[in-house]
This record gives sequence, structure tokens and C-alpha cells, in this order.
Amino acid sequence: MTVAYVDAGEAVDQGNLSGKVAGGELAPPVVAGVDYERLLNAREEPRNWLTYYGAYNGQRYSPLDQINTENVKRIGPAWIFQAGTTGLIAGASTYSFEAAPIVVDGVMFLSGWDGWVWALDAKTGVEIWRYKHAVPFDVSLCCGNVNRGVAVARGKVFFVTANARLLALDATTGKRVWDRTYGDVRAAESATVAPLVVKNMVIVGSSGGEFGVRGHLDAFDLETGEHQWRCYTVPKPGEPGSETWPAEGEAWARGGANCWVTGTFDPETNLLYVGTGNPAPDFDGGVREGDNLFTDSVIAVDVDSGQIRWHYQCTPHDLWDYDSIAECILFEQDGRKLLGHFDKNGYFFVLDRTNGERVRITPFVDRITWGAITRDGQVTAKVYPDKEGEPIHFYPGPAGAKEWTHAAYSPKTELFYVPVQDTGATATRRRREFKESIPYWGAGVQVDIEDMAGSISAFDADGEEKWRWRNELPMCASVLATGGDLVFAGEPSGEFNALDARTGELLWQFQCGSGHHSNPTTYMVDDRQYIAVPVGWGGWAEGFLPGMLGAGHGSALLVFALPESS
Amino acid sequence: MTTAQERVDLLNKIGLAAQNKATLGQVLGTGSIGQATEGSDGRMQATIRINPDELTWDPSILVMPHGGDIELELVNDDLNTHCALLPSNGDRKFIWLVNHSRGRATLNLDGPGYYWFGSPTGNDEGRGLTGAIVVMGDAPPEARLDRPEQPRP
Repeated sequence: MTVAYVDAGEAVDQGNLSGKVAGGELAPPVVAGVDYERLLNAREEPRNWLTYYGAYNGQRYSPLDQINTENVKRIGPAWIFQAGTTGLIAGASTYSFEAAPIVVDGVMFLSGWDGWVWALDAKTGVEIWRYKHAVPFDVSLCCGNVNRGVAVARGKVFFVTANARLLALDATTGKRVWDRTYGDVRAAESATVAPLVVKNMVIVGSSGGEFGVRGHLDAFDLETGEHQWRCYTVPKPGEPGSETWPAEGEAWARGGANCWVTGTFDPETNLLYVGTGNPAPDFDGGVREGDNLFTDSVIAVDVDSGQIRWHYQCTPHDLWDYDSIAECILFEQDGRKLLGHFDKNGYFFVLDRTNGERVRITPFVDRITWGAITRDGQVTAKVYPDKEGEPIHFYPGPAGAKEWTHAAYSPKTELFYVPVQDTGATATRRRREFKESIPYWGAGVQVDIEDMAGSISAFDADGEEKWRWRNELPMCASVLATGGDLVFAGEPSGEFNALDARTGELLWQFQCGSGHHSNPTTYMVDDRQYIAVPVGWGGWAEGFLPGMLGAGHGSALLVFALPESS
Repeated sequence: MTTAQERVDLLNKIGLAAQNKATLGQVLGTGSIGQATEGSDGRMQATIRINPDELTWDPSILVMPHGGDIELELVNDDLNTHCALLPSNGDRKFIWLVNHSRGRATLNLDGPGYYWFGSPTGNDEGRGLTGAIVVMGDAPPEARLDRPEQPRP
């Protein structure tokens, strides 16, 4: 006798099994009114953190001052969001919580690793909706299953996935509105960047520089997803800059220069300021003679056309993996429009952002042995992988004197606050043939696990160090500066610190239970200021701090505030 | 030289592809392989079963010819209760599968690449109820790099 099957029904969204109250999965339409005008003036609404750096200028500064040097010792956790992980995911051992939480009028939009995006009540931490993109387990990831954040505008939330997709979600429901592929995963392209919305466009860059791809920026119409332009960061033969690549062969086609960190934007110059990544292969320059433009450069890109207007190359013919992807912080000095850029190579570059002219260059880390850059911009390489099989030790290591994690600038103190990594590494050249989708480093690399140091260092725009808060371990997380004269900075060992922005004195500390490798932000709801920091150690830890490879992964967002009775 | 047949023989001889032989459970990726069928509208379909006392998905590797939507029939012929957590764009799909039950799931997946799915209860996943969905295909032409054809492994 045949027994009829029990009807198990239709599989449901896993998010429906997360304790939500019916009707609680709809966010108020706070993003509907976020347009280009509001993004241009983002810092005029300090209660919000509307875009990746808080504003187009990349300063990572909020004028909020409810939490200040006098009362910061009284702040404590207001709420914690625990993301967790389930099942087998890509980069299960390397995922990291890196995002910059975006906040719009009481709603937080946050991305995690492996295709996660959440909308949270910014006052309580209660999840409103979640979106989970299915990320292939076998996607190529040089440095971990990570994502640096979302962008919001005109009722939508934009984010990229590890399999090189750009998605637009409805900000009230979390449902997909449009979806575009902008990279080739079979070529080992991926995506980790937080998108930037400018005018009617959402702008993204590609990842994959360790696999010999050709870097690019792409712009899409934010309403329709229609592709607007692509800007390749390595020229084809015959294009400007192609003379810096070998005339014979296809080194240019594998040249790297990926823009895997969000750019900044000046509406007056109409230029995006974007840092480009390392050349490929990272450590074997013999197969790519020349300066290798536009790798390791600050490029200024016309936002309407996607054309490169000027460039400044920080490390010509890089042999140490010194991406210049670091933020370009826009500021003014003596009426001059400048940008500040702390490069992986250990030097602080100040450029005229109207034309790329060098203003000054100063070192910001103690140990620089790879070479030297003089104040007039002359670059001299000293030690580098050259002979096959010969180990070469150099400072800073390939994660740089500062990794992608961001410095901050306070217009109030007129100081830059930079997280410094003082760590060396050994690279041994091992030439290999290029094969699409296979890592293309051209060396064996081992980063030091001893004799390292870190700091939060404060510099003025002239490159003069004003104070230094020292740490035994390198500092590997973005810094946040506030109008309360505070600098917030997380440590790899889990401590989250508040420093006096004028002196560097440690005023408050909280052990978050996992190392910091993310972007803290601040916002206000109902007249209460909050400090939000994703905590989840991971990513390319073997690159920036292999001595902490054994530390526990976290997956929490911690949010701090003063006691409500204050 | 190892042939496909030698691999099967060795799996059986050592006891890697069954419950409580060489290993406690069945080693992941040693089960059966199946291919989804495709309708004229491009939607794909497949049936995945849990056979009695095997604690593995049949097929344990399901191949889709390209990215898109797939309708799965999930059948639990086992004498125990399991469940399924499946990848899909938007949110993962969950279904409870009591003994001798049959359910459905509709997934949307990008290609190319592969995804794991499992039965997240007890340690079903470790015993063998972790399967893979393989999606074939390429990135769309407009997303590919402007460069000459490159060598592949």
C-alpha cells in the first residue's frame, strides 16, 4: 500500500523565522527624500550618517558633540546586533565585519559579509528587514568575504556582492529593485566596495588585483540600473599612460589597479578622487617594466564622463603591493583646495585637488625601508624582490603603513588622525605564468609576527606630527572624529577607544570581544548621540597582522551612548 | 592514473560514501550527481530526495545549466525528521521535512559558481546532509573585461 506523503508546503524566507512581529518588517520611508542635494550637504544634518565617509569630503567627521571629552567615560552599550553565520559560506575562515553603518532619520542600513544587508531600528537595534544575496562558495576572494557598506538615495539601498553584482533594494522592504553584473567572476573579479551615489548615478569599483585583472570603475543610473560609463584604470595600447607598460605582450591586460575602496567627490571640480590598487603580479616587476600607470595612483575622474582628468602615482612600478586605495580626504588650507592621502607606502601625500600638483610629502610611520620619496617627489626604490628565490625583507609590509581602513580629519582641530601599522614582511620572488582566475602574486610572502607596533597618530596638514597614541599591535580599523573633540579607534585585540582629539589621551575604553577592522560611525536619534562600531576580526589578517590569525571572529555591531538619565 | 571508476571503487572499499563505515557520516561531495531540467520558459526544475538511513541528499550535487529560477521538489523518504536551508537571492529558504514528507522550494541563483545547502538540525550537515548546487555559465558579455582572451588553467 502506498502511503501519501505529508505535505511539507513551500519553503519560506529564513528571515520570517527571526522573531519579527507581523508588520514590523517595513521600514519608514526615510530614504525616499535622500537626494543629491542632501548628500551634498550631508554634514548639515549631523543626526544622520548619509554616505560612506559621512560626507563627500571623506573626512569621517561628525559635528555631534553630546558625547565629549568630559562625559565620554560614562558611555556604555545601548544595544548590540548579533549577526552570526550559518552553514558553509565562502571564506568561512576569513570573513570580517567591515562596514560603515549608514543612518537616516532613525533607521540604520548595514551590510555584512556574504551578501547580507540589514535595516535596523537605530534606537533599539531591532531588525526591520534583511536581504541575503546568495554568494557562490567558490568565488575568488583575495582577502576575505567582506563588504564595506551600502549607499542610500531616492528610496533605495545600493550594495555590491562578492560575485561582482550591484544591487538596488527598496529601502522600506529590502526587496530587490534591480541587479546588474559589473565584473567577471571567471576572471576572478569580485566586489567589496561601498557604492557612492553622485547626482543620478551610483558608482562602484572592482576587486581582484591579486588575480591579474584590469581594474575599472563603473557608473549606473540609480533609478534604472542602466550602465552610464566604465573607466578602466589600466590603459589599452595607444591610450594615455600605455607607454608605461611593456610595448610587447599583454601585461597591461592583467595590470590590476583595482578601485576597491570608495572615492571622494568635490562638486566644484566635478571630480571623483579615487585611489587605485597594486599592479599585477604584485611582486614581480620583471614582467611589467615601466611605471605601470594608473596603478598605485590617486586619479581624478570626471564624474559625468568617467574620464581620468589627472593622476598622481604614489609608487611607480610597485614591487611591494602598495595599493593607493586609501581615501582622499578633501580639505582647504590658505584658500587652496587640497586632498590628503595616507598611502600604504608610508607617506602622507597632500595634493592640489584641482590639478594633482604635489604640495607636500611626509612619512607617517617610523620604519620605511622599501625606498624613499623626497619632498620634491623623487622616488627611489631600495630593497625589493628581484632575484628569483632570494628573500627580501622590507617595511612597511604589503598591508601598508595604513591599510584600507580610514583616517579622519577634524575641521575643528585641523588635524588628521591616522591608524598606523608598523610591520615588515619578507617577499621572495617566484615567477609564474599567468592563468585567468589563479592568484598572480609572483612571490612567496610572509608578514612578520614579531617586532611590530601601531598608533593613532595626529598630523597637521603640513605633515607635522602633533601627538601619537601608541599601541603594541598595529592599528587596523578606521578612525572616527567628532565635534566632541574625540577620536574613536578600535584595536585588533578588541578594545574600542576614545582619545582626546587635541592630546591623544586615552579617555575611555571598552572590550568588544573581537578585533576591530571596520568603520565606526555616529548619529543621533531623539536627541541621543550613538557611536556604532561593527566588530568582527578577519579579512586579510595574514597580511596586516598574522600574529592575530588565531583570534576569534566576531559578528556583532555594538552601539554606545550616554546613560538615558544624563 | 585514477579513473572515475577507480574513485567509486575506492570510496566504497574504504567506506567514505556511506554512513558509519570508515567515517562516522558520509564524506561531503561523495554522493550522487543530478542535472536540473529546463522548461521552454527557462525555468528549471529538479527533485532532491533523502533516502532511508543515508543521511545524504540525492542528488548531493545538483547542476543547473545557467543562473535563474529553479523549482525544487524536496522529498524526505527517511524515517527521521530533517529540514532544508537553501540558498536564494533575497533570503535563504527554509523548509521543515518531517518523516515521509514532500515539499517545494523556489530559488533564484546567479551563475556561475556553486552553493552549499543543508539540513541545519543536530549535525545533519556533518553526517552528510550538505549538498551543492552548481550553476554553470559565464558573466554576461557587458560585464567582461575589455582585453584579449586570456589563458586559463
